[in-house]
Amino acid sequence: MKRRGLLLLALLPAALHAQATGSVYGAVRDTAGHGVRSASVSITGSRLRTNTGNTGVYRLEAVPAGPITLQVQALGFQPESVVVTITANDSTRVDFTLRAVQNLAPIVVTAGKRQQSLQDVVPSVALVTDSAIARRAVNTIDEAVDRAPGVQFLNGQVNIRGSTGYVQGLGSRVLLLVDGVPANQGDRGGINWDLLPVDNVERVEVVKGAGSALYGSAALGGVVNLITRGIPDDAHLRVRLIGGGFAGPPHDVWKFRTSTGLEGGAGVTASWGRDPFRGALSLGTQHSDGYRQNDERDHWQLAAKGQYRLDPVTRLDVSGAWASDQYLVPLSWCVRGHCDDRGQAYQPFMVDTSGLGDHTRSNKAYATAVVSREPSPAVSWLARVSWLRTDFTDYQSPRNDFSIANRFGGEVRGVVHPDHGRVVTVGGEVAYSDVLRSDIFGVHTQAEYAAYGEGEHGLGAARLTTGARIDFLAVDGGGLTAVVSPRLGGVLPVGRGVWRASMGRGFRAPSLAEQFVSTFVSGIRVIPNPSLRPEEAWTAELGHARGFAGERVRIDAALFWTEARRLIEPVFIDTLAEIQFQNLSRARLVGLDLSVTAAPLTSRLSTTLAYTFLYARELATDTSPARALAFRPRHLLTLSADYALGATALGADFRYTSRFERVELYETDPRVSAKVLDLRASWTGGSLAAHLLVSNALNYIYNLVPRTLAPVRAVSVAVTWTH
Amino acid sequence: MRSRVVALAALLVACDGGLEPAPAPTSCPKSFTGICGTVTIRGAIPESTDVVYVVAYQTFPQSRGDLFTYTPLVPPTISLVDSTYFYTLAVPNGRYEWVLAVWKKQGMLTIANADSLLREAGYYKRTDADTSLYGAGIVLVNSIGTDSIDFVIDFDNMHPVSFYFPAAAAVRR
Repeated sequence: MKRRGLLLLALLPAALHAQATGSVYGAVRDTAGHGVRSASVSITGSRLRTNTGNTGVYRLEAVPAGPITLQVQALGFQPESVVVTITANDSTRVDFTLRAVQNLAPIVVTAGKRQQSLQDVVPSVALVTDSAIARRAVNTIDEAVDRAPGVQFLNGQVNIRGSTGYVQGLGSRVLLLVDGVPANQGDRGGINWDLLPVDNVERVEVVKGAGSALYGSAALGGVVNLITRGIPDDAHLRVRLIGGGFAGPPHDVWKFRTSTGLEGGAGVTASWGRDPFRGALSLGTQHSDGYRQNDERDHWQLAAKGQYRLDPVTRLDVSGAWASDQYLVPLSWCVRGHCDDRGQAYQPFMVDTSGLGDHTRSNKAYATAVVSREPSPAVSWLARVSWLRTDFTDYQSPRNDFSIANRFGGEVRGVVHPDHGRVVTVGGEVAYSDVLRSDIFGVHTQAEYAAYGEGEHGLGAARLTTGARIDFLAVDGGGLTAVVSPRLGGVLPVGRGVWRASMGRGFRAPSLAEQFVSTFVSGIRVIPNPSLRPEEAWTAELGHARGFAGERVRIDAALFWTEARRLIEPVFIDTLAEIQFQNLSRARLVGLDLSVTAAPLTSRLSTTLAYTFLYARELATDTSPARALAFRPRHLLTLSADYALGATALGADFRYTSRFERVELYETDPRVSAKVLDLRASWTGGSLAAHLLVSNALNYIYNLVPRTLAPVRAVSVAVTWTH
Repeated sequence: MRSRVVALAALLVACDGGLEPAPAPTSCPKSFTGICGTVTIRGAIPESTDVVYVVAYQTFPQSRGDLFTYTPLVPPTISLVDSTYFYTLAVPNGRYEWVLAVWKKQGMLTIANADSLLREAGYYKRTDADTSLYGAGIVLVNSIGTDSIDFVIDFDNMHPVSFYFPAAAAVRR
């Protein structure tokens, strides 16, 4: 008993010492004195860490008293560390000034399902940063992504190097991720670009080419990952107001209303962060009169995000969003005799009188939870679950169509660095899609089970990547269909440049809509085809990136080659007078993707040029000759320039899309190349920022989708106040 | 600086063009390959009218199973507002045995109900005196618009599918 008492006495000072803690706080700034956001502040040998907020400030609580080594790391800056002595029950202030690292490539997370320097990734990746989104003053995510090199939107349908064409929303050959979580619709396989407010997106990563080796179905042509903003320390409030109007038709004979079409909206985001909990909530609404007849739209939005740090190396992230849209549907423009045509062959701003009042109500929501843990610098893992729900009703003559669908997903993933030169990523993924109720798709389910692995290892100066994924697909609980998607690639730094080469396979499982749709289109019956098989493609790419003039000028060029087969298309069966989706065509897409960035070109001027040459052919079959693939432009050119003058900036984008060689449905309709000039100006003063955007400034009248007028000139002003 | 101004000017010049107003044609447009003509509308338009199409067959259908081998896949429609209408029918080069107007009744079309929903409402004949069902009004298309393929739509004298293919004729699949 006496010995035990002595032991307790001996341990008492240690216990008292363990409870003695203080706090450390301060600011992290760059050499110009600006706060560095999202810098990681940690204590060497401890699991204590935090990130700086928007203004660069940080605070760490419960720091053991005594000498510690405080370390700061931030993207684009050289790391700094300092030894300080923490006094018990007191606060110690430590400020850092970080020096920028020259020639630093951005960090991306999508190409390999892990953090990588952009110059180390095997496929081509285009980045759209939050500063680029803010500079362009866009109001929707698809507008933000639309000008990325090699990317083009056709009436809301995304194309990466001509991947998808235009299939009226049924099936996308591009996979959408929200913070790495798949978000394509469960029934149609398409993408709801209005799921998230654009203001919540920090950056967009666009991975080009087949990505099924890591992401499975739908990543046939590429992957778009929307990465949402982090939640900074302390309380913040951001208010965004937008307002604007649309130009009228440039010719009197096309006028369709006497007043000016207007649009406006408001969004508020509030956040609070202090470890271990952080949270953010966004609300927004928007109304648009539209730029043509029967084009009004109302949008409501709610998004939330939370983080809980379970321990210094384990974090729980939950997020969700809900969006509701009600919009009139200007399905196609009016042709002679079907509206007040005023003697014209077509009226691009008007719709068929019988279609007036057609509208859609569309609700969508998603929720995700991710647990991530990094027990050591060599090992990390995550587990996630997700749920996406879509619910739409098309109110149209002569009958309404509706569908309610879910997509549930889950994934576990581990990343291991066995030694300095090797990285191994392994994981398993499940997805379960169902159509809960629908008058056109029936009630069906589709399950996907997958396992994947990818390894990267050094070979001299080169880094080689090999990996594969196997997907098992089951429809309505039936037999499993297996699809194997390998990928092989490598990067080789040579001087100031980096060569990259890769080859991989992509596939897309037919959507439940394509398999089971049963409806009428223009009075013709559309019948289901449950025996549809996945479409697939092989993509090969050779790319080179190089910096010039002290890295102020960067060139990235890639040659790509895609061979696709069993592409799913609607087919009119004349002996049955019915339409059905079938695995029909083989296609070849070959081209060059080039981007040149001069930032800055002069002290105040930054410019970029992005050009994609695309040769897209539908290959000959037993019953049809070779021909151009529909809805693919041969040339896609984007020029951008930004001029900064203190708190004011001016900029312009010019997008040229060559005339489609072939379209479907109305092949003989007039069509032109698209030449769209966007002008912008911005002013920033303290917590207030104002952006002016004049999109399609020359009011160039064109269409990319048959009988669907592309947006005309619109002037919008966005004012953002941040507290 | 001058080069930048020139580049900007070139950019602006490049931005002219785009879609322009296009008056309804009264003759075959230039750079058009297909068939054009004027249809004259007679008779009382049925209240149950959904739409009237113009279509062409390279070979006159031999059975009900051939009914949907027409071209083009998405045929143009006829406006019934005035008593005449100039149509343009974009079709590939070739020989067309039957150019006709098809009246469609309101309702969802299937091959099973084609007889009740579709009517032949008039077709091209070389002369009004021609009483043959087809063959006399053959149209040739050769890389330009073949004009003056005029005919009459007579809503008082329409013919169902069974007029050409009696119900006893088997549906070929």
